[in-house]
Amino acid sequence: MADQYSLRIPALEVHQGKRRIYCFAIDGKKLHSFAAVSRVRRDKEERLQGYQRPEVLSHIRAIRRYLESDGAMMPNAIVLAFDSRVTFVGHGQTGSVDYAIPGELVIPVDESLPEEQKPAWLVDGQQRSAAIRDADLAEFPVAAVGFIADNVEEQRSQFILVNSTKPLPKGLIHELLPETTGHLPPAYVRRKLPAYLMTRLNIDGDGPFYGLVASPTAPDGYIKDNSLLKMLEHSLFEGALYQYRNPVDGSGDVERMLTHLKGFWGLVKEIFPDAWRKPPRHSRLTHGVGIQAMGFVMDALTDELPAEGVRCIRVRDALESLRPHVAWTEGTWRFGEDDEQKWNSLQNTPNDVRKLTTHLLRVIRTAETRG
Amino acid sequence: MSPTYDFLTDEYSPVRVRQRDDQYAHEVVTPIPYNGILVSKAIVDGGERKAGKYTEPQRARLYRMGVRRFFRLPPEIVTLGDCGAFNYINEEYPPYNVAEVVDFYEECGFDEGVSIDHVIFGYESDADEKQADPAWVKRRHISLDLAEDFLAELRKRRSRLIPVGAAQGWSPASYADSVNRLQQMGYRRIALGGMVPLKTAEILACLEEIEKIRAPETELHLLGITRVESMELFANFGVRSFDSTSAFRQAFMDDRNNYHTRDSMFTAVRVPQVDGNPALKRQILSGAVSQAEAVVAERECLRLLRGYDQGNVRIDDVLDALVNYERIVNTSKKRSYIDLYRRTLEETPWKSCSCALCQKHGIEIIIFRGSERNKRRGFHNLTILRSKMNDIDFA
Repeated sequence: MADQYSLRIPALEVHQGKRRIYCFAIDGKKLHSFAAVSRVRRDKEERLQGYQRPEVLSHIRAIRRYLESDGAMMPNAIVLAFDSRVTFVGHGQTGSVDYAIPGELVIPVDESLPEEQKPAWLVDGQQRSAAIRDADLAEFPVAAVGFIADNVEEQRSQFILVNSTKPLPKGLIHELLPETTGHLPPAYVRRKLPAYLMTRLNIDGDGPFYGLVASPTAPDGYIKDNSLLKMLEHSLFEGALYQYRNPVDGSGDVERMLTHLKGFWGLVKEIFPDAWRKPPRHSRLTHGVGIQAMGFVMDALTDELPAEGVRCIRVRDALESLRPHVAWTEGTWRFGEDDEQKWNSLQNTPNDVRKLTTHLLRVIRTAETRG
Repeated sequence: MSPTYDFLTDEYSPVRVRQRDDQYAHEVVTPIPYNGILVSKAIVDGGERKAGKYTEPQRARLYRMGVRRFFRLPPEIVTLGDCGAFNYINEEYPPYNVAEVVDFYEECGFDEGVSIDHVIFGYESDADEKQADPAWVKRRHISLDLAEDFLAELRKRRSRLIPVGAAQGWSPASYADSVNRLQQMGYRRIALGGMVPLKTAEILACLEEIEKIRAPETELHLLGITRVESMELFANFGVRSFDSTSAFRQAFMDDRNNYHTRDSMFTAVRVPQVDGNPALKRQILSGAVSQAEAVVAERECLRLLRGYDQGNVRIDDVLDALVNYERIVNTSKKRSYIDLYRRTLEETPWKSCSCALCQKHGIEIIIFRGSERNKRRGFHNLTILRSKMNDIDFA
């Protein structure tokens, strides 16, 4: 029958102690003809069957977009567990090492077999192989590693091992993002511009944030990257920086954004030099609550201003008017007649950010109407 | 709605900024299907316990830009603020004070603002103050007292906001008395609240009673009421405006009347997203439903629906695919929509609709799936409502 045949694939048998693994390349479009995904479920007797989660369709779509883009590459290997129907035919040891033997992997394919009787299980690479299956491509060879599993329990332990790696720390991602080219997942595409602005603020010698943002390569910084990123995102999407953004592709006029930011925050630093110099433990200005609230103040004061005009008398006066009403490093915040809070009781919560923002904007508005 | 949403891949642009890059009905449909916009404080600021519907940066921008620029309203659109009394219906007393409500109206730059009211959730046409539920009596007095304070606060601030007095009641007589007192305070615009659950005849009874004391220049607003078929009657009693989201919400909230036409209602064709439907996701996770099978069935439905729209596919093939997908999705004992779909597909109402959205999206607009299609269908319904209202003879 045409749907029964053997795939003979060039492979390398690698000896790891008593175990053997097989490295080979396979067209991803053919994977599903002999490899199944082992969905976790309970059978009628409540015994555990399988081990895999369902496909994450949004994730698959993102991989698929990438695969269909120019120059796509998938260097990490897909991991398969074979049963004993799969065999390896060695061509004998060549070269100087005795732990790697070239040969051929022989995989029996029977497309009429139900899923659970296929000779291979996908241990790692479910989402990737689904993306290849769905992609609008004729073929896409991928690297694969197989092992002959004794039983499903062993497959399960390999499955857990390959899937229990720790995600990268956020700080490292934020630092890497701006200097990345090529395709990125959607969540990172969105983050790229804010992360770039943050990096530039941290490394440009002429700005108030120079060296102050904590990142893997700036360990002495004391302003949390997350606080600054939030402020930047808020302003990019809802505030003063939106004017420089291109809504079609999400890019923007970065240099003018930086001029705008350095203009405003430079004034903040000049007017509150002491609070600016101290870490969040000793200053609410460099704390998440202060960075975000002052970000909203920036949006309110400079929404209509061109980048070059941000450093102006009006903004300086508005910030000056805050001076008697802030308690960045000591004293109390007076939010209302019977609402007083110790300087350091403010936390980086939405409620406190809102409270502080409202307070600061009210002070500025009152001063403006008087002046 | 997001103008860059891709219906074939069901994806947003990764750089889309919600609301800001998106569009309102008044930006995509002509003529604009409404004359005004009502925004509730509870939606923007939230209450004691609940958060508002906006993120903090969005909220900050609304306050900064004002309601007109935030919603990108053309000059002819009127803006009305209220407190959103339904959001605090279970509280004993409204959670806002007069000063903060006036702050909200003024900072956002509304044209008109409704006084703080407290909804009476009940109707008893013959009960007088002694017979009625004491809580109702109290709520009516709270609303009237706050309306008086509201006017005083506006006068104190020399505000340019046009005040709208909120009248509450549980009977024709109590509503009429509320309106009477509001008129005496000086209100010329009066909003009738708490009428959403009332039958049309009950609303009319109240309007008739109010008519006996209504000053000729007093204009009434019905809070949350549509009822196009009775609009002409309402107008005879001084009703000049109303607000409602029902035509919009029916697009995705109603069990069957999702797509409106001038003379009928149609059921939208449900093709839920395999990775968007929580019940289906649980079924897949538990292994009860095969994800691969569901994905294939979902795609088949979309492919056939689009083919049908182009005239390449027979209706029975579409319905077979829908039956198959419904069987996979509908694991509980919910009833089938297939017969309703047949009528929708046979009559192809979207093909004869001239609204910009139906013209542009074709059959997608009648597919019940994800918020982008559903919102567009809601916008379509608003244009239908508008055109029905154009036929009403407001003497």
